Amino acid sequence: MADPILSLTDITLSLDGNAGRVDILKGISLTVARGETVGLVGPSGSGKSSLLMLMGGLDRATGGRVTVLGQDITDMDEDALARFRREHMGVVFQSFHLIPTMTALENVATPLELAGAPDAFERAEAELAAVGLGARTGHYPAQMSGGEQQRVALARAAAPRPAILLADEPTGNLDGATGEAIMDLLFGLRDRHGATLILVTHAPELAARCDRTIRLEDGRIAPEHRAAAE
Amino acid sequence: MSLALATRIARRELRGGIKGFRVFLACLALGIAAIAAVGTVRESINAGLEREGASILGGDVSIELTYRFIAAPERAWLDGLGAVSEIVDFRSMAVVTRGEDSERALTQVKGVDGAYPLYGVVGLAPDVPLEQALAGQGGVPGAVMDRVLKDRLGLGVGDVFRLGTQDFVVMATLTGEPDSGTGGFGLGPRTLVATSALENSGLLQPGTLFETEYRLRLAPDADLDALKAEVAERLEDTGYRWRDRRNGAPGVTRFVERLSAFLVLVGLAGLAVGGVGVASAVRAHLEGKTGVIATLKTLGAEGRLIFQIYLIQIAILSALGMVIGVILGAAAPLLFAPMIEARLPVPTAFAIYPKPLFEAALYGALTALLFTLWPLARTEQIRAAALYRDLGAATGTMPRPFYIAVLIAVMLALVAVAAGLSGLAWLTLYAALGLGAAFVALMGAAALVRALAKRGARSRAVRGHSALRLALGSVGGPGGEATSVVLSLGLGLTVLAAVGQIDANLRGAIARDLPDVAPSYFMVDIQTDQLEGFRARLDDDPGVSAVETAPMLRGVVSKINGRDATEVAPDHWVVRGDRGITYAAQPGEDTTVTAGEWWPVDYTGPPQVSFAADEAAEIGLSLGDTITVNILGREITAEITSFRAVDFSTAGIGFILTLNPAALAGAPHTHIATIYADEESEAAILRDLANAYPNITAIRVRDAIDRVTVILGGIAAAITYGALATLITGGVVLIGAAAAGERARTYEAAILKTLGASRATILGSFALRSAILGAAAGLVAIGAGGIAGWAVSRFVMDTDFVFEPVSALIIVIGGVVVTMLAGLAFAWRPLAARPARVLRGAE
Repeated sequence: MADPILSLTDITLSLDGNAGRVDILKGISLTVARGETVGLVGPSGSGKSSLLMLMGGLDRATGGRVTVLGQDITDMDEDALARFRREHMGVVFQSFHLIPTMTALENVATPLELAGAPDAFERAEAELAAVGLGARTGHYPAQMSGGEQQRVALARAAAPRPAILLADEPTGNLDGATGEAIMDLLFGLRDRHGATLILVTHAPELAARCDRTIRLEDGRIAPEHRAAAE
Repeated sequence: MSLALATRIARRELRGGIKGFRVFLACLALGIAAIAAVGTVRESINAGLEREGASILGGDVSIELTYRFIAAPERAWLDGLGAVSEIVDFRSMAVVTRGEDSERALTQVKGVDGAYPLYGVVGLAPDVPLEQALAGQGGVPGAVMDRVLKDRLGLGVGDVFRLGTQDFVVMATLTGEPDSGTGGFGLGPRTLVATSALENSGLLQPGTLFETEYRLRLAPDADLDALKAEVAERLEDTGYRWRDRRNGAPGVTRFVERLSAFLVLVGLAGLAVGGVGVASAVRAHLEGKTGVIATLKTLGAEGRLIFQIYLIQIAILSALGMVIGVILGAAAPLLFAPMIEARLPVPTAFAIYPKPLFEAALYGALTALLFTLWPLARTEQIRAAALYRDLGAATGTMPRPFYIAVLIAVMLALVAVAAGLSGLAWLTLYAALGLGAAFVALMGAAALVRALAKRGARSRAVRGHSALRLALGSVGGPGGEATSVVLSLGLGLTVLAAVGQIDANLRGAIARDLPDVAPSYFMVDIQTDQLEGFRARLDDDPGVSAVETAPMLRGVVSKINGRDATEVAPDHWVVRGDRGITYAAQPGEDTTVTAGEWWPVDYTGPPQVSFAADEAAEIGLSLGDTITVNILGREITAEITSFRAVDFSTAGIGFILTLNPAALAGAPHTHIATIYADEESEAAILRDLANAYPNITAIRVRDAIDRVTVILGGIAAAITYGALATLITGGVVLIGAAAAGERARTYEAAILKTLGASRATILGSFALRSAILGAAAGLVAIGAGGIAGWAVSRFVMDTDFVFEPVSALIIVIGGVVVTMLAGLAFAWRPLAARPARVLRGAE
C-alpha cells in the first residue's frame, strides 16, 4: 500500500480476568492508507473496539507492533502516547466521555490547550459553531442531550485537526435520526480536513459509507477480509 | 406494614455489604470513642476519689481552721468521737547554712502529731517508720523532705537545715504523702515535721498564716450528716471548713468535672467533623442508589417507603458505628490506664462505667441523625424518570418542611443534651453557636471558592495553563468534593486553630503580662514590730525600685446581706475558702474608687468595707449591701460604702475586701509586702531579710509563675489531645472524600490522557485542586478559630487576647499539605490506569 498512515503487525491482546485469561485479539495485521476511511465491523465481543483502542495507544498490545505515521508506538510510555495523540489523533466514543465538570467550550478547548494552542478558545468556539452548538458553549454535559453531547465530542476530536480520527460506535447511544446527523457531521469533518477515519460500527449502512470495511470475528480478521486488510 | 416491608427491602439492599460505609463507620466510631474515653477517665477519677476519699482526706472527716488551733473543750469533744489527728500546714523558708553562705528555698511545711496518718502510709526512703524519722537524732528533731527540695538545697540524710529559728535534721526523703490531694495549690515542695518540734520555731505566732486540720477516724457506719450538723452548732462562728470522705477533694473533683466537660465539647466538635463525613458517605451511597430508588418507584413504592428503607439501613449502620465507638472508648482508657495513672496526681479506679458510654452513644445517635436526615429526606424526590433520563440524584432540592422541622428539633436536642450533661450550659450554647457559625462560614467559603473557581476557569488569564484551568474547572464545576472537603477539613482546622490560639494566649498571658510589672518577691508573715526594720533594709537598697506593704488578715466571707454567702453566690471564688482582708484609713495612691465614698481618715463608726468592683458586679452587689466576714471566729458585718478597681493580673497586692481600720482593731494580724527589685539584688535581699527575720516567708514570684505555667501547660496538653481526635476524624473524612473522588478522577484522567495530557499535567491539576481547597479551609479556620480563641480567652479564661500568627500559619500550611497528601494518595491509580480500560468500563 502506498503511503500507509497506520499499520498493525500480528497484534495480540490478552487480558487476565476473574474467569482466567481471555484472548481478545489473536494476531491481527492491518494497514490503513493516508486519507482513507475504514469501517471495522463484526459481532459484539469480536475485538473491534479493543483494536481501535490499540490504534489510539489507549491500550497496550500483548504482542505485535503498532506503527502510526511512521512511528512505532508499541513501546511508548504513557506520556509519550498522550503527546502523540494530542498531535495526531482524535477519538470519539460511544458514551461521549465529556468531562462533566467542564462546559462544552472548555471540553473542546482542552486538547487545543494541551497542545499549546494560543487561540484554543476561539478555535473551540468555531468548532462548536461548526457542529451547530454555537449557542450552547456555556452548558455542562449534564445539561445537554445525548446527540448534543456527541456533537461536542466530535468537535473536541476534530478541533486539533488530527491526521487520524478514531470513532468507536459514535452513534451507538443515539436514535436513528440523531445518529445519522452525527455521521453526516463526522464524515463532513473528515472530508473538510482530509483526516484518516477509522470507525467501529454495527450499522451496515455506516460501514457502507467507508472506503473499505474490515470484519472481525473472534479476535481475528474474517478470512474474506484478510486480503483487503493488508 | 410499610415499616416491615421497608425493613425487608433494606435488609436485601444491605446484602451488597458495607464496603462503601467504612468512612461513615470510622467517623462515627472515632467521635463516639473520644467522648466515651474522656467520660470514662472522668468517672474513673471520681470513683478513685470516692474509693480513697478517707485516705485522700486523711480521715473520715476533716475540720479545717485558719491560723488558730481548736479550743480545748472542742478538742476534748472531738477526742470523744474517735481517733483524732491534728495537722498544721503553712509555708516557710527552709534555710541551710554552710559556713558564711546560706541557701534558702520555699517549702510547704506540714506539722503532724503521733496519730498521723489516720489512713494510708507515708512513703519514705530509706524506709523507716515516720515516728522514728520525725524523732530526729542527737537531740535535733527530724524532718522528711520532698526530693526536689532536698536536691535544691543540696541536703542529704543526716544534714541539718532550719525552719524559722528551729534546726531540723533530714531523716529521709518523702516519696509518698497519702493525703497530698487535698492541699490544693502548694507553692513549695513538702517538708514534714512533728508539730511539737515547731514550738520554738517562731513560725506559729498569732497572726501568722497557718491552717490547722483536725481529722477524725470514725466507725464505718458513723452518721456523717448528723456529725456535720453537730459540728456546725459547736464550731459556729469559728470560720471552720468541713470535708468528709464522701468527697475528699472537692477542688480536684470540680477541676476534673470542668476539664472533662470542656474536653467533651472539643469531642463534640470532633463528632461534628465526623458528621460531615457521615453526611458525605450517606449522600454518595444514596446517589449510587438512584437507579434502585427509581426502579422501586417505577414498581409503585411511595416516597415514604423509600425514606424508611434507607433510614433503616443508616440506623443499622449507625448502631454498628456506635457499638464500635463505645467499645473503643471503653477499652482505650483501660488499655492506657497505667500511663494515665502515672500522670495523674489523684487516685483512679479504671473500669467500665456505663454512664459515660451511654452519654457518648447518645451524642453519636443524635449526630448521626442530624447529618443523615437531609440526604435521606431528599430520596423522596428522586423520580422514576431517572431510570431512562439521566436526572441524577435529587441534589439541590430542599426536603419537605416536616423534615426540616425534625432536623431543627434534633439540633436543639443535641445542644440541650450537651448543655445538660456537661453542666456548662452557657459554654455549650456558645460552643454550639460558634460551631454553627463556623459551619455556615465554611459553607459560604466553599460556595465562594466554587464560584471564583468557576469564573477563574473561564477567564482568559488561565487559558493556556491547562493544569490550572483543569483544577479550577473541577473545583467550580458541578458535583465534586469541594464542599465536603472544605467543610470537614475546615471544621477540624477551626478546632485546632482555636486550641492553638487559646494555648498560645494561655502561655502568653503569663509571659507577656507579668515580667514587666511583676514584683520579685511576695513576702508574708511580717510581724508588726518587724515592719520598720524590714522597710529600712529595703529603702536603703538602690536595687529596690518599689516596696508595697499592707496589713493582712485572713477570713471567710460568710454572709451577704445576712444570707449565707454560698447561697447568694454559690460558684464564686470569693466566697469559696478564706480570703485575704486588709484595712486602710485612706485609699492608696494607685487605688481608683469607682463608686461610693471612702470613709473619713479617723472614722470609728460601724464597720464599712470597700469591695473590688469587678467581683462585686459578678456577685451582684450594690452600695449599701452588707458583707459579713469571719476572722478567727469573730463575725464582722460591714456595709459596702465604695467599690474599687483591682487588677489581680499584675501579681501586686490586691485585696477583694478593705475595711476601715477601727473595724479590725485588736485582731492579730501580720503584714504582706511586695518587693520590686533588680534581679541582681534579689539574692542579697532574701539573705538579709531571712537572716534578720527567720519567720518571714518569701515567695519568689518567678518560681510561682513557673509552677503555674507548668500546670497550665498540662491543661493545654489535655485540650490539644482532645483537638487531635478532632483532627484525626477530619483526616478520615478527608481521606474518605479523596477515596470517593478517586473514580471520578480516574475517569477524568483517562479522558485527559486520550486528549493528550501528560501525567505531570494531570498530577499538577490534582495537586492544585487540593491546594485550593486546603487553603480555603485553612483560611476560614484561622478566622473562625481566631474568633473562638478570642471568645474563650476573653470570656472563659479572662485573659487578654493577642492573635498568634505562627500557629495560624502552621494551620493553613498544614491544611494545604494534608489535603494535597490525601488527594495525591488517591491519584496514583487514576494516573496509572490505561485509558481504554477506564473508558470502556464506563460504557
